[in-house]
Amino acid sequence: MVDWDGEFTVFQPAAGKTHFLNEMGLHILILLDRAPTTLEHLCQLLAERFSLLSDESFMQQIQQTLHRFEALGLVASANPPQ
Amino acid sequence: MKVGQLSLEELRARLGSENGLRVKFGPFMVRIQSFLPSLVDLLHRLYAFYTLADDDIAEFHVQIVPKRSLRRPFTPFVQFLVDGQTPFPAAPAHQALTMLEWGINLAIAVRVNHLLLFHCAAVERNGHVLLLPAWPGSGKTTLCAALIHHGYRLFSDEFGLMDVQSGQFFPLPRLMPLKNQAIEVIRHFLPEVTLGPEIHGTLKGTVAHVRPPEDSIGREDEPATPRWIVFPKWMANQPLQLEEMPRSEAFLLLASNAFNYEVLGEAAFDAVTGLIQRCECRKLVYSDFDSVLTALNALTDD
Repeated sequence: MVDWDGEFTVFQPAAGKTHFLNEMGLHILILLDRAPTTLEHLCQLLAERFSLLSDESFMQQIQQTLHRFEALGLVASANPPQ
Repeated sequence: MKVGQLSLEELRARLGSENGLRVKFGPFMVRIQSFLPSLVDLLHRLYAFYTLADDDIAEFHVQIVPKRSLRRPFTPFVQFLVDGQTPFPAAPAHQALTMLEWGINLAIAVRVNHLLLFHCAAVERNGHVLLLPAWPGSGKTTLCAALIHHGYRLFSDEFGLMDVQSGQFFPLPRLMPLKNQAIEVIRHFLPEVTLGPEIHGTLKGTVAHVRPPEDSIGREDEPATPRWIVFPKWMANQPLQLEEMPRSEAFLLLASNAFNYEVLGEAAFDAVTGLIQRCECRKLVYSDFDSVLTALNALTDD
């Protein structure tokens, strides 16, 4: 991973792909790499980190980002426990 | 020995022989075969400074052969072949030189994977390489033609050949195809330039090839390290702008217009990262040669 003054390039060896991320995108990956979590908890952590309001619109944006990351193979959704 | 030291008859004989005309283009050896009479004069003049590579193994075996067209039976057509394959359709015989040049470039772009291949012009000044990455139509060949006749050494108007281990760039000074209005622009700005004939009706319109200066071809074995990356764009009547470019943007643009970035994977990622970190990155908008030469000279002065 390379930091270009707040924008990041990340090489994903498994897919051989290069990804361009902003600070929010990178932080999502860092948090999920530490431990799996729920969308709600992830949004709460991100809102604290970036001093944002974790409202419905913010959660929708993060969910869309997670869907894109999932399509790229960067994250995987886990089934909720039975 | 250089191609220009052959007589026309010797050149014709080589082109028609089994061994072909073997020419060194930068780090590559190419065997060219053709019985087409019109190519002999053209290659004798435009390839004059290239070194004959009689005893070397050729990486690319290319041919220009006659082809019959059922639709136009009375028009002579020619076909380009590389190792017996036909990468694009036949074209009228007067386009043989453009087919040969594009065909060799295509073969390099598709087959070379021991070097990272950027789609960019590259020139050298004061011992360092200036890369000019740009998309087709942005005027990089025209700008490159102006630069190499004002103190810059031609590496290539089409390829930046990077060794991913050393970070050095290799020259590949091939003919430079000017298109459409650029032909008259260069004729006017550089009356001393050696130009091939105007070839009409190609896929890219009218094309005329600039022969690289003898010094650039003579030094085709001298690699150099890059120091500047400038993304040029020609825009009519615009004042010159040469501005710093965010490195993340430079990375994105450079990586996305490399021919074999994905093939080389992590090695390419590391190479582009190192390249961007070591170079000054600029965006350039220009509309006239005098101001762009002044600006690029200032950038590349020691």
